[in-house]
Amino acid sequence: MKLTHRSHQSGFTLAEMMTAMAVAVLIFAAILTSSLAMQKTFNAVDNYFATHIQQIRIIDYLNRDVKRALICTTSPNQQTVTLTIPKYIIQSGDPEAVSNPSLVGTMRSPTISTTTSGVQVNYGTTTSTVVYAINGNSILRTEDGVVTTIASSTDQLVPSTTDADLTNTEYATMAVTFTPIFTSGNVAAERTGTTVFSLAYLRNKRRG
Amino acid sequence: MRVSFILNERGNVLLCAICTIFVVSLIAANVLLNCTARYNQASNQVRSWNEALYAAESGGDIAYNEARKLASDSTNAFSASNGWTTSTNPDGSKTYTSGTTTVGTNGLRMSQSVKTFYPDTSGNAWCRIRSKGTSPLQGLKRTGMDDRLSNGNRFSANGATRGDGDTLLRKIDFKYDHFTATYGDWFTGDSTKTIVAVSPAPQLSRRIELIASPITPFDDVAIKVTGNFYGLGSAAYIDSYRSSAGPYDPSVKTNPSDPRYVDSQSGSVQIDNATATVMGDIYGNLYTNGGTATKKTLNVHGTIDNNVPFTLPSFTMPTNLPAPQASPTNINSNITVTPTGTAQTPTVYLLSSFTKQLTINQNGSSQTYVAIHLTSDFTGKIDVKPGVHVQFFINGNVDVKAEDLVNETGYAGNLQFYSISPTDGSPQHVNINSPGNLMATFYAPGADFTMNGNPDVIGAVIAKSFYGNGNTSWHYDRSLDSLGEPTDYRIASYVEDIR
Repeated sequence: MKLTHRSHQSGFTLAEMMTAMAVAVLIFAAILTSSLAMQKTFNAVDNYFATHIQQIRIIDYLNRDVKRALICTTSPNQQTVTLTIPKYIIQSGDPEAVSNPSLVGTMRSPTISTTTSGVQVNYGTTTSTVVYAINGNSILRTEDGVVTTIASSTDQLVPSTTDADLTNTEYATMAVTFTPIFTSGNVAAERTGTTVFSLAYLRNKRRG
Repeated sequence: MRVSFILNERGNVLLCAICTIFVVSLIAANVLLNCTARYNQASNQVRSWNEALYAAESGGDIAYNEARKLASDSTNAFSASNGWTTSTNPDGSKTYTSGTTTVGTNGLRMSQSVKTFYPDTSGNAWCRIRSKGTSPLQGLKRTGMDDRLSNGNRFSANGATRGDGDTLLRKIDFKYDHFTATYGDWFTGDSTKTIVAVSPAPQLSRRIELIASPITPFDDVAIKVTGNFYGLGSAAYIDSYRSSAGPYDPSVKTNPSDPRYVDSQSGSVQIDNATATVMGDIYGNLYTNGGTATKKTLNVHGTIDNNVPFTLPSFTMPTNLPAPQASPTNINSNITVTPTGTAQTPTVYLLSSFTKQLTINQNGSSQTYVAIHLTSDFTGKIDVKPGVHVQFFINGNVDVKAEDLVNETGYAGNLQFYSISPTDGSPQHVNINSPGNLMATFYAPGADFTMNGNPDVIGAVIAKSFYGNGNTSWHYDRSLDSLGEPTDYRIASYVEDIR
């Protein structure tokens, strides 16, 4: 018996090779382009939602503080909010804490006073001042001089707050916008489309 | 036989396909992971954090509703049948504690405590309401992805280092209650720190404190009626002042630069009726229920609001007074008494008739408190000397002249008339005739009130209806705003403990 080992080792013609390489280049180019596009899309979406979460955080911070505020004032450009808040917790350096340090961190007992606008409930003789402001790419919350960065984004987060002081109530309307990184023209409509809005009443608005 | 071995070396296509699928899957997994985390944060954590506040505020409403019963239905306020337990504090105040209530499809929980306190001299209890709302956290146990704020300080069960971003704001309790571990018991104020496992875990809690203040009958209103109103004369006026800040000065009401001006504009009239004849100047607000009063036809210097409905609860004889004195039992001849009652235990007289004069002297230099219960009509005279405080409860009608009601204390709140509402709905009236001036308060929710002549009045009137056609000068005293038995409670303060 005679064994014959035949192998197909025939090559491609130049035309075949050129055609195959052209097709391969096209395929790889498409894959590369798609991958880059997917990556950019992923980054854009990820960035959008990350900034959106910060929008919500800014709104929640403002909501919480406006509700418990005694006084709310906003700057003419609506980007700085100043709140006067009851000093519910005794802090280090407060008069009570100086005479009795063990009171630090405890809750104050309320007292009342009669003023021209009626009876008021007070927690201590002083109040806390909370300021929300923009500093570069960050939104800062400053309470009695202590600064906390509550949001930071290169997407130009802008909170805008107005307060309406009525006869017997007061409320603040808040809107936070940003410019997504994938926007093409940075036009106003693209910023407006990201608006998150909220409204909160001052629960401690003092009535006459 | 010939055996052929045919080699097909084309597996690289399959390998490329698998690699491509693998890379695409990695990207998809990364996208999914991030989307899930973002969704978890934007939806579940934010929702639970806000729902915890809803729960706390709902709990506050439950406690506030019980506090209101202190004024309207005290025997059923904070009752054990509604799940409340009562304890008495060393200073005599009460603390009411509720059980935990679970509501809603998301298992929101709330619990409350209410502590009474007495911050003023009226003797009326204020309520300090604490409410805690808890919301189970759905989804992933993650503090969030605050990568833009990262300073290497994610989370720490430490009051001074609470992390940043959402961690700092929302303070999720993953396994243990961070508040009791760091600050102690919020309801009692006990600062003993305890490690308490939360269930279900994780969860978010928010804590609020409300102050409910009593609303008293003469709170910021000179005349208040549920029915018809006619008055006053066309040249009459109603203004206000605050006796604790000085005597009445008629020039203040038209002088905005006077520091007392703010107290001169509370001569308000409140009418729970659509039709009313309102004349004269009102240096205060005018409220009606569906009326059409406008400033074109009236000289109202404050606000006109034609959509303020209200009700006045019937007035019943208080049950917390001491036993009455043995005598006198009627005032059918002129009598002078010098009682010894105090604010907590006033001297009580139970009278069957009152047709002559009763003079009440001060007990030495002590402030002297008296409560009179007259079971018939009042047609006599009363003289309240300085230092005396009188509450006069009347079952019948009042027919007197203004000069018969002598209040020498200089404060209308020291001569308080209360008309006990007839249980059978029969008519009741209070007639104040000329001559004379008047310094007193009237709380008569079931009576028709009539004032004749042109008296100078310092005080306030709450009645079923009002008629007065004289050119009266009426001065509401803002110091009356905490006077008398509470008729309701209002929320005066709101604080959230954000620790």
